[in-house]
Amino acid sequence: MSDGLKRRDFLKVLGVSGAGASIAGCSTQEVERLIPYVVPPEDITPGVATWYASVCQECSAGCGIRVRTREGRAVMIEGNPEHPVSAGGVCSRGVSALQSLYDPDRVATPMRMGQSGLEGTTWDEAMQALVGGLQGAANPLFITGILGPTEELLVNQFVAALGGRRVVFDPLYDTALREATRIAFGVDALPHYDLANSGLVVSFGADFLETWGSPVAMGRQFAHMHGVDHGEKGRFVFLGSRLSLTGQNADEWIPIPPGSEAAVALGMAAHLVQAGADAGPYADLLSAHSAESAAQAAGTEATAIAALANDLASVPSIVLGPGLAGSHRGAAAANLAVLVLNAVAGNVGQTVRIQQTQTPTGGGFGSLLEAIRSMSGGSHGAVVVAGTNPAYAAPAGAGFAEAFQSVGFKVAFASALDETSAMADLVLPASHPLESWTDSMPRPGVYAVGQPAMRPVPHSDSRPMADVLLQAGAQLGQDYGGATSFRDFLSQANAAWLAANGARVGLTGDPAARWRELLRTGAVSYDDPPPEVSSLQPSATALSFDSPAVDGAGDLTLLVYPSSRFGDGTQANRPWLQELPDPVSKLMWHSWVEIHPDTAESLGLRTGDVVRLTTDHGEVEAPAWVYPGIRPDVVAIAMGGGHTAYGRFANGNGVNPMVLLPPVQDDASGAMALVSTRATLTPTGAWRRVATTEGSSDQDQRNIAPAVALAALGHAAEEEAGHHEQLQELQEIGGFKPSETEGRAEDYPLPGAEYGDYTRDQPRWAMSIDLDKCTGCSACVTACQAENNVPWVGENQILMGRDMHWMRIERYYEAVDATHAGTVDIRFLPMLCQHCNNAPCEPVCPVFAAYHTPDGLNGQAYNRCVGTRYCANNCPYKVRVFNWYSYTDLIPEPMTWQFNPDVTVRENGVMEKCSFCVQRIRDAGNRASVEGRDIRDGEVRPACQNSCPTGAIVFGNVRDTSSAVAGLVGDERTYRVLDELINTQPAVHYMKKVTHHEVDSGEH
Amino acid sequence: MKRLWLTAALGGVLILGTVAFVGGQGEQDAGAAAPATTVEAASQPIQFPHNTHAGQFQIDCQYCHFSAERSVDAGIPPVESCMGCHRVVPGRNNPEEVAKVVEHYNAGTPIPWRRIYKVSDHVRFPHLRHVNAGVDCQTCHGQVQEMGVLETVAPEARDLKMGWCISCHVEQNASRDCTVCHY
Repeated sequence: MSDGLKRRDFLKVLGVSGAGASIAGCSTQEVERLIPYVVPPEDITPGVATWYASVCQECSAGCGIRVRTREGRAVMIEGNPEHPVSAGGVCSRGVSALQSLYDPDRVATPMRMGQSGLEGTTWDEAMQALVGGLQGAANPLFITGILGPTEELLVNQFVAALGGRRVVFDPLYDTALREATRIAFGVDALPHYDLANSGLVVSFGADFLETWGSPVAMGRQFAHMHGVDHGEKGRFVFLGSRLSLTGQNADEWIPIPPGSEAAVALGMAAHLVQAGADAGPYADLLSAHSAESAAQAAGTEATAIAALANDLASVPSIVLGPGLAGSHRGAAAANLAVLVLNAVAGNVGQTVRIQQTQTPTGGGFGSLLEAIRSMSGGSHGAVVVAGTNPAYAAPAGAGFAEAFQSVGFKVAFASALDETSAMADLVLPASHPLESWTDSMPRPGVYAVGQPAMRPVPHSDSRPMADVLLQAGAQLGQDYGGATSFRDFLSQANAAWLAANGARVGLTGDPAARWRELLRTGAVSYDDPPPEVSSLQPSATALSFDSPAVDGAGDLTLLVYPSSRFGDGTQANRPWLQELPDPVSKLMWHSWVEIHPDTAESLGLRTGDVVRLTTDHGEVEAPAWVYPGIRPDVVAIAMGGGHTAYGRFANGNGVNPMVLLPPVQDDASGAMALVSTRATLTPTGAWRRVATTEGSSDQDQRNIAPAVALAALGHAAEEEAGHHEQLQELQEIGGFKPSETEGRAEDYPLPGAEYGDYTRDQPRWAMSIDLDKCTGCSACVTACQAENNVPWVGENQILMGRDMHWMRIERYYEAVDATHAGTVDIRFLPMLCQHCNNAPCEPVCPVFAAYHTPDGLNGQAYNRCVGTRYCANNCPYKVRVFNWYSYTDLIPEPMTWQFNPDVTVRENGVMEKCSFCVQRIRDAGNRASVEGRDIRDGEVRPACQNSCPTGAIVFGNVRDTSSAVAGLVGDERTYRVLDELINTQPAVHYMKKVTHHEVDSGEH
Repeated sequence: MKRLWLTAALGGVLILGTVAFVGGQGEQDAGAAAPATTVEAASQPIQFPHNTHAGQFQIDCQYCHFSAERSVDAGIPPVESCMGCHRVVPGRNNPEEVAKVVEHYNAGTPIPWRRIYKVSDHVRFPHLRHVNAGVDCQTCHGQVQEMGVLETVAPEARDLKMGWCISCHVEQNASRDCTVCHY
């Protein structure tokens, strides 16, 4: 795909279409087969979607999802509103799990290493090989990712019965924070944060809106805390050396140097202790710190540090961090410092909850390093790898590949052949999470079950790992209480839990009824958590809180951060994510090196100049991307690129920064140190066009994404008087007559509706998007792509500006300064078809393909469109995209199985755009009509709204004064993009971002 | 002359439009595009007499096409539905055809019915909306209860062209908006 469309393919497509054209119009002559069921499945009605509640397993957050299936195929993933953690939200990675389910590069059959590499075999032989290999093996080693509680129970039992060892490697699990929590509170668990009830959030680089913690849940809580719905607006201060997407949502940024987190946190705590706060056993430690020492470490003024510390103590607050991107040799100490600050500020037990709960086995890089040593030392007769890819995601210098290679019997449970499993002697195709059972306990008091949403995709003869282990266990003489499948094991394991907690979580009735209800809701919870631990304990081990060593040559500190699209690289083989503009850089398909404009200037670099990034351990080449949101002494690069073996969409795209890192860990916790070395940037002299869909990061006074200061709220409406003044002026000099409406309920029917078949008694579909809640996470973009059969086009086509996204997130810089502490103002604006009342696209269409529907949509009749593209040229919002080639024809089997059967798959030569998910409107209309009623408010929820973690998007009938959207349209913050200039009367109403700082009047 | 140009231009527009929209599902197109010519391919795998079932025995259409009332798809009866009766009814007229049904059921293979009615891929026809509005199945499908071999009979219905849909929508004052059927 990245090679674009070859001429030969183009001719082929043309030929097929031609043949089609010749028989079109006589469709009844075509022989097509109707294949009925032999025995119909109980829960499937042809043509009606069946939804299954399940658990997302793209990261360890454990969000609840609902999988929409049609005729037995999963076609869409949305958030589960009944899940107590994610509450209906989902992220791009979660939605894109569909593409790993239908990945054309999934392992087709079990494979064994033969003379000429891996060769296909049967499950019988593979099981024989597995059992035989494990039976005699000395000290078998299992390397896995984070597992669900019951699957972990099973794996641990299996490993113990074999007399082996298990090691967990998940680069996105915050091992350092867990160790710090153990040190500070004696509790071996991750803290649980209540962002929603805090008034001030301070993050030391923890990317809680993208990769750290539970991003969907924290995004929702953040939007509540930071929104103005409840009368006040919380504040968010970011301390870090690079503005991640999370940082871009901050109100203030103190660009502290990497490694200074502990000093700054302790300094703030010390300031509070001086003012009388209690630091318990850490009082002595804090006596050596002060606001001044913190200010020195942070490179800012002591008054600013003291003021921030005072604010922390005066309102319910939360301090987070330093997270994964800031993880260094002193990671546990830095996390401990932050926990001490939380305790001193009085947050522990309030907004920061420390609680012993069932927690998965953690285990960071340290245990992997140990495993590498013991593998090299020949202590393991067999190694089993599942759900983790250390050959790619661990620093190359750790020597995993060499050590793994030296093991006599290597087994990999793998969905696709990645860098690690490609080396195995036995590859067992593991079922996808959407085909398997699992469960999760995302936080105390919450229990969720993940059920398969469909039968295994037949292209891969896969089995769930847990089932294989049970079968192997039986052959090895192990006992699992008679369970022959993981489903049995799971229901046995949680039967006791359900019996004990059933009443408390509202599950009553007999065990079968409880189980059914649990599967229906997907998750249960109780609000009565056990007593919490909240007093600080002295540290048993001596930790150094000094700035950690960063070695190597070079004048820039290298920052390797988890990608918000690919995580540690696990999600890289998904074209939706490859083509999703990175929420920060808006780049896609390839890697980039982030550098500050000053650094760029001193090296004579511009965006697109290919640079060589060199450390003592390796080098990579990638185009530079000049970014004002990064400190001048830091250079950053995202994980997830440069796979050498994973699949056709991942391989060769971008570079893998792990080759640059030394195999260094934080000694106290075993966390991988991602900030551990310096790097040198060398221009190569080459330049490449970067693949981006970004037009400009500057609004150029166009007021596309205006903001309003918090202080000005309440009288913003007055400022907006004379909305259409400019248009009135135009009219005086012979222009057209502008409409006086604001698109509110009472404005309908619009003037002119008496002509033709226009809005009279029909609904007027409209949308409200709250820019104060939008975090730019881009979940909506991926959800839209999944719902509407929007194809990806590949890097070359992107370079030609032929992206097909129906929705994009504009990102505008208003205030970003990496050299001084100060205000951050970065605005996000989801842009989609505005469904204008006066749509400029409509009158220019020569064939009436773009037209207005009676219910107010800007319709696009694909089968009328002849591809003049006049509409796109006349659209002021650039939301119409042209299908240059039949991109969908190039989608390989079985990825085509994901197509939404309710939406036409468009071919080439057609203009397309956001339809407000008209298929969902029509579906709701059909149901309402059958039931003899009107469509209810909230019944139609477009894919973007249903994925949004923060609830920024509201959709409904604006003519219905009682609808949620009509209420929001009347809000003082509501405006419509470019409406006052060109009188388009859009149906998408944006609500201005609210800032703590004064907003320049020219920018509103 | 002018008229000729107009016709040519309109024809071009139509062809372009069709090319753009034929088929949707990638490789499946190639199969679907192969026109059926032989009699064998065109015949049903089992000679199912609608006139016996829907006519003589007056079995309701929706007894077999079970989801017409609640789904966009009318539903093709599962083999199990056939067996509901044919477990005990041997089929007086064509026992050898019924035997084929039993064979399929026992073997667990679906019956590959030849599709008679198909609207284009870019058209959505929600059965539930029409059935619930009281439109008889016969309005579109003809007097099925009298057919030994199912064929499209109404000449205007044969091609399921849009004009035919619209004429009814105009008559019934139903919506004529494009996005009601095309999205």
